[in-house]
Amino acid sequence: MITKTSPEVGGMGHSLKRKEDLRFIQGRGNYVDDVHLPGMVHGQLVRSPYAHARLKSINTEKAKKLPGVLAVITGEDLAKANLAWMPTLFFDKQMVLATGKVLFQSQEVAFVVAEDRYTAADAAELVEVEYEELPVLVDPHKSLEPGAPVLREDREQKDNHIFHWEVGDRQATDKVFQNAAVTANVHAFFQRCHPAPLETCGCVADFNSATGRLTVHLTSQAPHAHRTLFAIVGGIPENNIRVISPDIGGGFGNKVPIYPGYVCAVVASLTLGRPVKWIETRSENLQSTGFARDYHMTAELAASREGKIQGLRVKTLADHGAFNAAAQPTKFPAGLFSICTGAYDYPTAFCEVDGVYTNKAPGGIAYRCSFRVTEAAYLIERAVDVLAQELKIDPAELRRKNFIPKAKFPYKSPLGWSYDSGDYESAMKLALEKVGYAELRKEQAEKRKKGELMGIGISSFVEIVGAGPSHTFDIAGIKMFDSCEIRIHPTGKGICRMGTKSQGQGHETTYAQIVAQELGIPAADITVEEGDTDTAPYGLGTYASRSTPVSGAATAMAARKIREKAKKIAAHLLECSADDLEWETGKFFVKGAPSKAKTIQEIAFAAYTNHPQGMEAGLEAVDYYDPPNLTFPFGTYICVVDIDTGTGEVKVRRFVAVDDCGNVINPMIVDGQIHGGLTEGLAIAFMQEIAYDENGNVQGGSFQDYLLPTAVETPHWETDKTCTPSPHHPLGAKGVGESPNVGSPAAFVNAVVDALAHLGVKHVDMPIAPWKVWSILKEKGVVS
Amino acid sequence: MALRIEKTVQVNQPIEKVWALLTDPRKVATCVPGAKITEQVDDKTYKGTISVKVGPAVSEYSGELQIVRIDPENFEIELLGKGQDVRGRGSASLKMTGKLRVVDGGRTEMTSVSEVNLVGIVAQMGARVVTEVSNVMFGQFTKNLQARLLQPEGAPDDPGAQVKPVKATDVAWEAGKRLFRRDS
Repeated sequence: MITKTSPEVGGMGHSLKRKEDLRFIQGRGNYVDDVHLPGMVHGQLVRSPYAHARLKSINTEKAKKLPGVLAVITGEDLAKANLAWMPTLFFDKQMVLATGKVLFQSQEVAFVVAEDRYTAADAAELVEVEYEELPVLVDPHKSLEPGAPVLREDREQKDNHIFHWEVGDRQATDKVFQNAAVTANVHAFFQRCHPAPLETCGCVADFNSATGRLTVHLTSQAPHAHRTLFAIVGGIPENNIRVISPDIGGGFGNKVPIYPGYVCAVVASLTLGRPVKWIETRSENLQSTGFARDYHMTAELAASREGKIQGLRVKTLADHGAFNAAAQPTKFPAGLFSICTGAYDYPTAFCEVDGVYTNKAPGGIAYRCSFRVTEAAYLIERAVDVLAQELKIDPAELRRKNFIPKAKFPYKSPLGWSYDSGDYESAMKLALEKVGYAELRKEQAEKRKKGELMGIGISSFVEIVGAGPSHTFDIAGIKMFDSCEIRIHPTGKGICRMGTKSQGQGHETTYAQIVAQELGIPAADITVEEGDTDTAPYGLGTYASRSTPVSGAATAMAARKIREKAKKIAAHLLECSADDLEWETGKFFVKGAPSKAKTIQEIAFAAYTNHPQGMEAGLEAVDYYDPPNLTFPFGTYICVVDIDTGTGEVKVRRFVAVDDCGNVINPMIVDGQIHGGLTEGLAIAFMQEIAYDENGNVQGGSFQDYLLPTAVETPHWETDKTCTPSPHHPLGAKGVGESPNVGSPAAFVNAVVDALAHLGVKHVDMPIAPWKVWSILKEKGVVS
Repeated sequence: MALRIEKTVQVNQPIEKVWALLTDPRKVATCVPGAKITEQVDDKTYKGTISVKVGPAVSEYSGELQIVRIDPENFEIELLGKGQDVRGRGSASLKMTGKLRVVDGGRTEMTSVSEVNLVGIVAQMGARVVTEVSNVMFGQFTKNLQARLLQPEGAPDDPGAQVKPVKATDVAWEAGKRLFRRDS
């Protein structure tokens, strides 16, 4: 149990207003594009219009002659410095600027640097590139066909296959299916999505030839890891590189990889000796930077007639585009997709994934998702509904029958995970009550009689977040610990520096609340600073809902180290043994004599003015936290939809979200995270796809075609919580940022399919646009 | 992006006159907004350019037009064109079949089926924009063609003659009109 502090202290459980919002809502944030340095010049990328073409020639003469143009860099130029290619975060390499051929539309071909941004853009238009078109592969199934054109001529392996990965017991699973009374299957395509952060990617690279130091202001979710990669790839001593992530306007995984634009800006700054700014346009962001999903999945469930699940078999084709630029832990080519067994208790499962190349933008990154967990949760929650349909059992009842019982935690899943804690039935029960499930089913039956379409969709998802334990988790070799350094100043105020980096999550508030909880120093007195690699301790950054599980834990541990030292100082001040002291929020007191006490502020002052002989002065600590396990947040979401039979439009009538993320740091921020993630989930389910035509032209390359939900489309979200603390996290917290994005797509789709189930519909792929529903209604004879 | 565009128009001219014009790419080009024939390679092959403005993107395609089939008895013609944007921003290809027939005492009906394949920035605009642009272009083409047919026989061919490319505002206007029509 967490002791609740007073509102003045504002520890865990208080809905403190976000400290950072004051500057954000006043327009006084400091984003990369706000960085203006003396002598700064501007870069612009020239991009390929073709999805697959041989580069015959690049003529930069006209561009170079334009007044104000300082340099035009091509792939051949970079090749001389051995920088035409760079490693991706997942054992592949990626062209910085194209040499030989281009492999996707909007691929980076040349980099123009000019005195101002307009001149750079004009000059980019003057770069003449001659291409010879080559056959294009957009369908990953076709990439694997014999005789398919080999996209990656740079590889020794002369086909388009990247990896095969499997987990589980294939033979045992096959056997379960052979003997199963009932099987159900679903082919679900989780379409290519894009995180589309409101701030696009960009940087200002500033090489100072006098000091030999390179400072890069970068939209980076992982500034420390990026510094190390710049050092390794660029050959610059790491102490001479400073990466600064200023305020970031949303990341959602999109700002984890290193992009060619960053490298070009660094090369240009090294060459010209001037700061070079490069900022993406919206279309560049959507068309060339890290996409997510693009998984072609098949799931089969084996079950008894009574509805007891006995096994799961999953086969998936993963489209990675032109380069495998996935950003995920090294040992997991399909991320943590093996969480696909879900919230259910059965002994046998097998899952295999094949990755392939196509002529599309490279990826895929984990969009508000702990590495392919969204795909996994969507798949199992869809499959369970299909099984329910097959067995004619209510989907809530089928879930209840199969939930991992509360008593079975920690639970070892058939694909190898150890779920830390869970109480799935309580979360579903609360959601069912809140939504009024029984009445809704009655209403649905009545509406069906009248020919009206209404559906109820349930998703009881399990997340796996907080990567991760160093024995299993690393990115590009760097273990996935994270860090916190706390310094308490003489007057009892303090600063926390972190290895993570907020992109809107509210870290400046929540980490301060953890310190407040542990030390009793008001959260208002704690400054949180992140993103400057010169000052912050090393860490792997913020993505995969890892800030609270890993850095949040590091903050608690560092604060506890401070408390230990504070105890010794208090003993010195109170002239007693440390063993005689007891802690109560904000002060140590002598056991049995509560008036003999020293506050943490008094102790902090003493740490600099009157510390015991033989003890180091000061009150600070650093902690590098290596989590013993991941955390497993969960919840049940229920969506109610009505479908307009005239237009095929789906209207979300209600959406109840019951989340369990263990102990909560700031309930208001958690609610905000859930609202945001559900809204993104809604967009994925109904509006968004980065589609390609048969020639590899991007069909979702601007906000004209890749739609963002506004207040008009967004329904009212009804949220609630259950609380099942993590047994291994020092604060019992689990992380929540991704749950709503992971759990909601299945709820939306299950609701739509439920509305159409009596017509024989088993599955509808996202995005469920009105035309898609209308076509089904037409096919089923509902509309003429 | 592949588009199939079917158009039918009627012109108040005898079929022979329309046919004579339609089978001469140099004359046709003077009616196509933004198009220009620059060179005749042989009796069936021509080189030329066409400038198309879609939203902010101006594509200037340079390429070849070939008469693949010509059937004077049935008044049918089949054309194949392909070009690349001169600044390397994409390519376009066109397969067009045109057919003429006499209607209502002396009038000529012209039916064309075009299969257009676009690659590059223009193709990203999506079918609804590109279709709108082609509608505007075809509308102007028909107008120009009518005007051209009214010119006296033997009017000097101006090989340098070129009709201005379609403006974005025209496209927006057309799209707007359609939008209102749909609502009413």
